[in-house]
Amino acid sequence: MTDFLQYVINGLAKGSVYSLLALGLVVIYRGTGHLNFAQGEMALFATFGTLWMYSQGLQLWAALIITALLSFLGGGVIEFGLMRPAGKKSPLAVVVVAIGLFQGLNALSGLVYKGSADGLHFPSLFPNGTNDFYRIGGTCKGSVCTGGVVWRYQDIGTLVTVLVLTALLFLLFQKTKVGLAMRMVANNPDSAKLVGVSTNRILMMSWGLSSAVGVVGGTVFAGITANINLFLMFQVFLLASAAATLGGLDSPGGAVIGGLSLGVVESLVENYPKHWWFGDYIGQSTAIAVAFVIILAVLLVKPSGLFGSSRVERV
Amino acid sequence: MTLPIAIKSGSTAHQLTRVAAIAAIAAVVYNFYLNGKPSTLGSLTEACILATTAVALNLLLGFNGQISIGHSAFVGLGGFASGYAVNQLHWNPYASFLLAVILCFVIGLVLGLPALRLKGPYLALVTLAVAFVFPTIAGKFLDRKLKRATKINGLRLKPPTWTGLKPTRTDTAVFIYLLAVVLLVVAYVIVRNLRTSRIGRSLVAVRDNETAAAVMGVNLRFTKTITFGVSAAIAGAAGWVSAAYFSTMTVASFTVRDSIVYLLALFLGGAATLTGPIVGAFVYYFLNKYLLDHAKNWTWLPGPLAGGPVAPFLLGVLVISFVFVAPFGLVGFVKAQGRRFFVIAPRPLELAATTPQLVEHSTAAADET
Amino acid sequence: MTALLEVEGLVAGYGQVSVLQGLDLHVNEGEVAVILGANGAGKTTTMRAISGMIQRKGNVTFQGQSIVRTAPNDIVRLGIAQVPQGRGTFTDLSVADNLRAGAFTRKGDVDADIQEWYGVFPRLRERRDQKAGSLSGGEQQMLAIARALMSRPKLLLCDEPSLGLAPIITQELFQVLGRLNAERGLSILVVEQNANLAVQIAHSVFVLETGSIVASGTAAEIAADDAVRKAYLGY
Repeated sequence: MTDFLQYVINGLAKGSVYSLLALGLVVIYRGTGHLNFAQGEMALFATFGTLWMYSQGLQLWAALIITALLSFLGGGVIEFGLMRPAGKKSPLAVVVVAIGLFQGLNALSGLVYKGSADGLHFPSLFPNGTNDFYRIGGTCKGSVCTGGVVWRYQDIGTLVTVLVLTALLFLLFQKTKVGLAMRMVANNPDSAKLVGVSTNRILMMSWGLSSAVGVVGGTVFAGITANINLFLMFQVFLLASAAATLGGLDSPGGAVIGGLSLGVVESLVENYPKHWWFGDYIGQSTAIAVAFVIILAVLLVKPSGLFGSSRVERV
Repeated sequence: MTLPIAIKSGSTAHQLTRVAAIAAIAAVVYNFYLNGKPSTLGSLTEACILATTAVALNLLLGFNGQISIGHSAFVGLGGFASGYAVNQLHWNPYASFLLAVILCFVIGLVLGLPALRLKGPYLALVTLAVAFVFPTIAGKFLDRKLKRATKINGLRLKPPTWTGLKPTRTDTAVFIYLLAVVLLVVAYVIVRNLRTSRIGRSLVAVRDNETAAAVMGVNLRFTKTITFGVSAAIAGAAGWVSAAYFSTMTVASFTVRDSIVYLLALFLGGAATLTGPIVGAFVYYFLNKYLLDHAKNWTWLPGPLAGGPVAPFLLGVLVISFVFVAPFGLVGFVKAQGRRFFVIAPRPLELAATTPQLVEHSTAAADET
Repeated sequence: MTALLEVEGLVAGYGQVSVLQGLDLHVNEGEVAVILGANGAGKTTTMRAISGMIQRKGNVTFQGQSIVRTAPNDIVRLGIAQVPQGRGTFTDLSVADNLRAGAFTRKGDVDADIQEWYGVFPRLRERRDQKAGSLSGGEQQMLAIARALMSRPKLLLCDEPSLGLAPIITQELFQVLGRLNAERGLSILVVEQNANLAVQIAHSVFVLETGSIVASGTAAEIAADDAVRKAYLGY
């Protein structure tokens, strides 16, 4: 039982990262109806930026805040300069641009940040030394404790970050005029224009918001793996998309639940089958395969995800 | 002479231009057959493999509106299945071609079924996942069956005696090059015939508006699933050629990055045109090769770009700019320019014997009585 | 007296297709103007053009100011609000949020206005926390009107408000519009297909056929025209 809890707790950490990126994906999808394939690489590029600032002497948290603001601006610029003109051409154009961005940004990261191809060490936002954990349960003999479930400070911190960000986004959407405008544009862009919303500005902000959330996810993830390289975000993007899909591409709450669940499932699949006969087929990537099989099953039953809203189309 | 000059579809002039185009291409192919060095032939073979895959992708994307980022898995499956069958199970290499094609067709059908329920981004994600997972599953398979982690041997084909080629390095390269070209041509013809057939036209209808197409009676399920299967089969065939071409293949030979390259090549040439994928693939391949060899010497590049591996970056930028400069790809661009000079005029419609008479409405009160 | 809204030679369409071929109409302050037209005549195109939702050429003047190049969200700020065809409510948002959405261009507290409109449309108050998409057609129409009025417009555009509604609801609808005009002096431009009720509350009527106005006049004049009566009023 303690094993199970341990796997769940470990899974929540990675799941938090998936949730963060999934939130970013959902924000854009709600606003534009498009899936941002370049989300992971945008976050990667920005995360390298965080590392660079840290290497220049800034505190990691300060670097992250600055990069988040810059990402916000950058996301807006990308929407204005690339995605909006592409959207005027055709929906396929948007996909092509996203894929081009994917390749281009990844390559740019490799070029601009020297040493990125081999991987660089990345510091963590939260204390992550060997003794930085919180033990639940277990027995103690004097000052030596064993057993129970171990929850690393880093993982707690990651989870808290996600929950805080989700709460902030919730407040933004429900309680502010900007948030109302975003919900309007997501639901009915024409009507939004008819009540005076500048849909262009809202779209820019959606992209900016998504990019800022993305870099937080990237920085947290790089901290967990203690390493940043050109392939870092790709798997995360894939799982974040899976999480967003599971939760419903237009539901922020669904994104978080989807992300956390996926992290937990991944952790369980990675660890349990070791004891079973096909144990050696299971590994990290196959955990992704299992995740996708689950998602596929959900999508077949409920095509718009667990919490998504199905769109009615007029012919 | 007023431009554009109209050439009637099906007329002698039209047929002549077609024959001329085919003759020109045949001449080029023949030239390399006679004079190609193994390295050039090798490049051309690789370009043909890329082109075949792009053609397969185009069938799905250009005509069905379905995006697949997973075709690297089909190419890989074709290649690995062939390699394994020939080397471990001692199959005839040409029999393994059938294996590759049929296996991929079946798996394509299997994937095509759930794809029916999935819309745009969801389908793209699932195919992405398939491509992502393929190397690992293939790796595990090899690990178990071959006790060797990541390599599988190619087909090691030798030219059969009836071709008149000898089993030398040059002649083998020629043979494989011809195989690749023939396969590409066959794939092109298949896709072209599908496109102009009744199935093809319903494919386009499905792409443009699914709900309307369904209402009009197009059998969506059948069409979409078959398209997926055929597309996968063609990619599998490309995989077989890869197995013939490469002496060994690793799990890193068929990754998501390759899937992305197929898409970029397709967009460069022009999706939804028949020749687009082929042109795009060749341009992408040779442009990439050129950039890989020379771009690191381009000191005029700004700041961080200089002296590094700029090829993927430049190609990404190129494809993005094409979206705005040439949204229908190179082929679309050339066609549009060409249309300023020549236009193929469609055959005039033959009206039915009895045409319904148009009833005239008058706005004034003329029909009082 | 110059009209509140003056439209001259309006040309608009979608892509290469030009639907409006030089349309002339006007709406006087404090009056109800009705555009009659069959399907495909260009009614919704006219509405979208005035509100700035599509590319347009020609002269469109509101309160003496040209708005033919103005962005849609700025046109709202100038005082034109539209109830689009098909209601266009924010289906995922609550009724209350829909009303708040309508007041987007206004600063300050809008609660008083919301309460006022709850008074005019009591069914909306009952359903204020429900998602707009769960309301009936008639209720959504009322919501769309209330939403448009939250911005305190000088001119209200209504695109086929009776579409898909039962006759008795349509009656109620036009009674409300009539009262809004009579009691508050709200200027209204309504576009309708089969529009007995609309003409009854109208001061002026324009007949739209394939992209241009073929007849116009006061409601009485148009109602007296046999051809128009047969074609559009059904008798």
